[in-house]
Amino acid sequence: MAEKLDVQQGTLALMILKTVEVLGPLHGYGIARRIEETSKHRLSLNYGTLYPALLKLEQEGFIAAEWRQSENNRRAKFYTLTAAGRKQLARETREWHQTADLIAAFLAPRRGEEAP
Amino acid sequence: MRYLRAALARLVGVFTGHRADDDLRDELDAHLEMATAENIRRGMSPADALRQAKLASGGLTLAAEAVRAQRGLPWLESVAADLRYAVRSLRHSRAFSIVVVITLALGIGANTAIFSVVRGVLLKPLPHRDGDRLIYLRQSVDGSGGENIGFSVPEIHDFRVGAPAFGGIAEFSPWNGILQEHDNVTKINIGLVTGNFFDVMGLSPVLGRLTRPTDDGPGVPPVMVLTHEFWIRHFGGDPAIVGKQLKLEAGTATVIGVMQPAPGFPDPVDALMNMVISKHHLSAQMVQGRTHRMTDMIGRLAPGATLQQARTEIAGTYANMQRDFKDAYDPGSHYRVTVIPFKAALGERARLTLWLLMAAAAFVLVITAANVVNLTLMRGVRREPELVVRAALGAGVARLRRLLLAENLVLALAGAILGILIAIGGVRLLIAFATRYSSRSSEISLDGVALGFALALSVGVALLLSFVATLPKEGMFAAWISTGARRSSGGLRRQRLQRGLVVAQIAVSVMLLAGAGLLTRTMIQLSDVTTGLRTEEVLTMPLQLLSFSDGDFARIIKADAAAKEDYDRIRREVLALPGVVDVGIGSNMPLTGSSVGFDVKAEGRAPAPGEAIPHADMRTAAPEFFRAAGIPLLEGRTFAATDRMGAERVVIVNQTLADRLFPGEDPIGKRVAWTGDVLRFTPFSPDWRTIVGVVGNTRDGGLDAAFSSTMYMPFAQELALGGGFAIRADSNVAALASAVTRIAHRIAPTVPIDRVWTIAQIKDRSIAPRRLNAQLLSLFSVLAVIIAAVGIAGVLAFSVSARTNEIGIRMSLGADRGRVERMILREGGVLVALGLVLGVGGALAATGAIRGLLFGVAPHDPVTFIGVALMMAAIGIGACWIPALRASRIDPAVAMRA
Repeated sequence: MAEKLDVQQGTLALMILKTVEVLGPLHGYGIARRIEETSKHRLSLNYGTLYPALLKLEQEGFIAAEWRQSENNRRAKFYTLTAAGRKQLARETREWHQTADLIAAFLAPRRGEEAP
Repeated sequence: MRYLRAALARLVGVFTGHRADDDLRDELDAHLEMATAENIRRGMSPADALRQAKLASGGLTLAAEAVRAQRGLPWLESVAADLRYAVRSLRHSRAFSIVVVITLALGIGANTAIFSVVRGVLLKPLPHRDGDRLIYLRQSVDGSGGENIGFSVPEIHDFRVGAPAFGGIAEFSPWNGILQEHDNVTKINIGLVTGNFFDVMGLSPVLGRLTRPTDDGPGVPPVMVLTHEFWIRHFGGDPAIVGKQLKLEAGTATVIGVMQPAPGFPDPVDALMNMVISKHHLSAQMVQGRTHRMTDMIGRLAPGATLQQARTEIAGTYANMQRDFKDAYDPGSHYRVTVIPFKAALGERARLTLWLLMAAAAFVLVITAANVVNLTLMRGVRREPELVVRAALGAGVARLRRLLLAENLVLALAGAILGILIAIGGVRLLIAFATRYSSRSSEISLDGVALGFALALSVGVALLLSFVATLPKEGMFAAWISTGARRSSGGLRRQRLQRGLVVAQIAVSVMLLAGAGLLTRTMIQLSDVTTGLRTEEVLTMPLQLLSFSDGDFARIIKADAAAKEDYDRIRREVLALPGVVDVGIGSNMPLTGSSVGFDVKAEGRAPAPGEAIPHADMRTAAPEFFRAAGIPLLEGRTFAATDRMGAERVVIVNQTLADRLFPGEDPIGKRVAWTGDVLRFTPFSPDWRTIVGVVGNTRDGGLDAAFSSTMYMPFAQELALGGGFAIRADSNVAALASAVTRIAHRIAPTVPIDRVWTIAQIKDRSIAPRRLNAQLLSLFSVLAVIIAAVGIAGVLAFSVSARTNEIGIRMSLGADRGRVERMILREGGVLVALGLVLGVGGALAATGAIRGLLFGVAPHDPVTFIGVALMMAAIGIGACWIPALRASRIDPAVAMRA
């Protein structure tokens, strides 16, 4: 089993937004499953991390929540991406790529420093 | 936008939390169920599936907590909960809460009120534009009345040239006007100013315009700027006032504007005018006479110039002036000029008194806070079991501290609210008080800053209270909880702190008492001062029939005879009133200062080199004046009807002047004369005058002032430039006031009449400010002593109740009641003694600072100090007696079972 990682501050919101964008309306369990699977189970989300994050996104107006019947016919709270959330996702994705490029460039071994 | 929206959502969350809780539970349950179902699908047993799902969840309760924290504003909710709890808890110890709130209210109230006054009078920025750059100059000489002799126009001119550090120098000359309106006459105080006055002072109009340099000099129309206060008081704030013509005795002036509210300076005035209204101010005498000093000088520092620079330039210029005009600066009088910031000059008279009161109020607050700390400590001991239970249930140090803070905040804020109510009343009283000392009293208000001050004080007290309570260190809780709460006397540290506070309270009380004692003795000394008059059954009525204000001597000489006739008519009518024994006319009333005085010389006796030229107040008196006013004739004769215009010039001198001019000789028959350059500008002759009598000294400069030299001239022999009546009656002279005023008003209907006072009233007015000082400080010290007495009694009572068990054992082993009583008394007595020693020491060190407020009593007056120490000792021991008695009544059988 791969080493378990802690979810980094700020990245969870991005993962949730992306998950809801890709899979459409989804309940908390589904979002957690999807994130764990995508991370090849290197991330595990307990409820105390996931639900406050969902609530925060809802308060910020990026996702909307609504009670519906789930696929196996039980009631669950489904989260949907809002228009504002879509914009926020695009912005955060762009920023994340920029940050990642920057960090990658920063950490890349420079000439003369290469390992012998 | 995003944050605003989130914040709003959270704020809503604070109130909708209960509904959302059910929602959250359903959501978490659903999640758990789905996870369990998934596990079962993977082949786990249902029990195992649920267990694994729960493990992965990380704890449902924790998750719910985390969501709740995100949903609302947790700190707000817990503060609200803390406050609710604090109020409930305080309601349970009602007596404690009431005592604390009242004590704090007194401390905070007194401080807020005095602080408002100090701020209004001393600290607030001046309403003038860049008020910090305004400078007041003062010329002084030795001798009484020499503190501020003003400047002459040539002197001011020299300073303008010689001190470029001043961007502008304005002149201000006090002048009296009589405003004549169709139905009444009003005496108004006017400042004659140069056109640049308002520009230099940095004042703006609220209506119309102010004077400007084109209003200077002769040949311009007289204009008047009303002060804001006079505009409201006299004209009811009439917006149509600008352009109105006002009739003054000396001419008609046009009102050109109303200036913004500003402190009156150097004396409060009703209006400001250009100089043209007074012939005298434009005369050659005024403009060219170097010794004709009757103008105040206010300067504004030029941009970039400093006070130090101004001082240096003024000193240099002044030295040159003294060198070039030796006649104008008699070296024996030590002419000097001081340069002080305008703001300091305005606060000068009030400063010492106000800081004394501020210090006293601060002392009261110290005592108050000490008492409240003590009460809190005692309550802390009693509630230790409660805190232990809370700790056992998982509250950390920070949580407990916060709880205490909430309680103390509730107490302190309640105290602050009550204190502010006290301060509102106090400020009203204090404004009347401050008016005697400062023309800025109208700026005193209980404004936001003062309220902030009260709030800061109360929050400070709350913090102090919350941190004196000892809580164990984090990690030591287990020990604390396990020992339980049987340490009911509190730790040693706590006991020491309590005792230290009691000692401090007594010491501070002693200091306050010493100050109050000294001021009270000052007041008593002052009212015991002999006025120099034989009786107080004298009514005085100043009445100026001839106005000197325009300096037009030709007119005055023409009007003189008629005025004298009127004076005599009034005298005869007053004398006919029932009960009146004697009526005398004189230029100045006894015990009232005179503003006119000149240098004096004695025939054949030149002052020694370096000796100051003698100076005397000038007064006139009719023959009956001395008898009527009760001024004793010591030698020679009083004036007679034959001492009239054209007869030989005669004078009567007072004892001080006789001793000054003719030490050890008989002055009767000797000749004296007014002298000095300035005499040229007056209608008084420098001729020799023969002394015909010597009268006793009277306290004309105030009861606390030294006797001044006075020379009386016959009323009939001089122009009636001043006048008034001293009226003696067999009894109840005050009752004559209205009858006398009526007579004067009938005969001289256009002359304003005020200050119809008895000698007793004049005397009282001289004492009144000091009496108020003494009363205020006494009030503070009584407050302090009461609080301190409650403090020491409380601490001892607490100590007794904590030692009940021990005392029971002592008594059952044979200690009798007396012994127990003495034991407790000794415990308190040590504290009282320590406090006394510290307090007396502190007072000895501090009372020197109020020397300026004392009269006839030294700052280290032994009588006061011994009295204060005895009084405090008696009160202290008295306060110890109550708990001591209680200790001695302890029933050993009951006590040991406890």
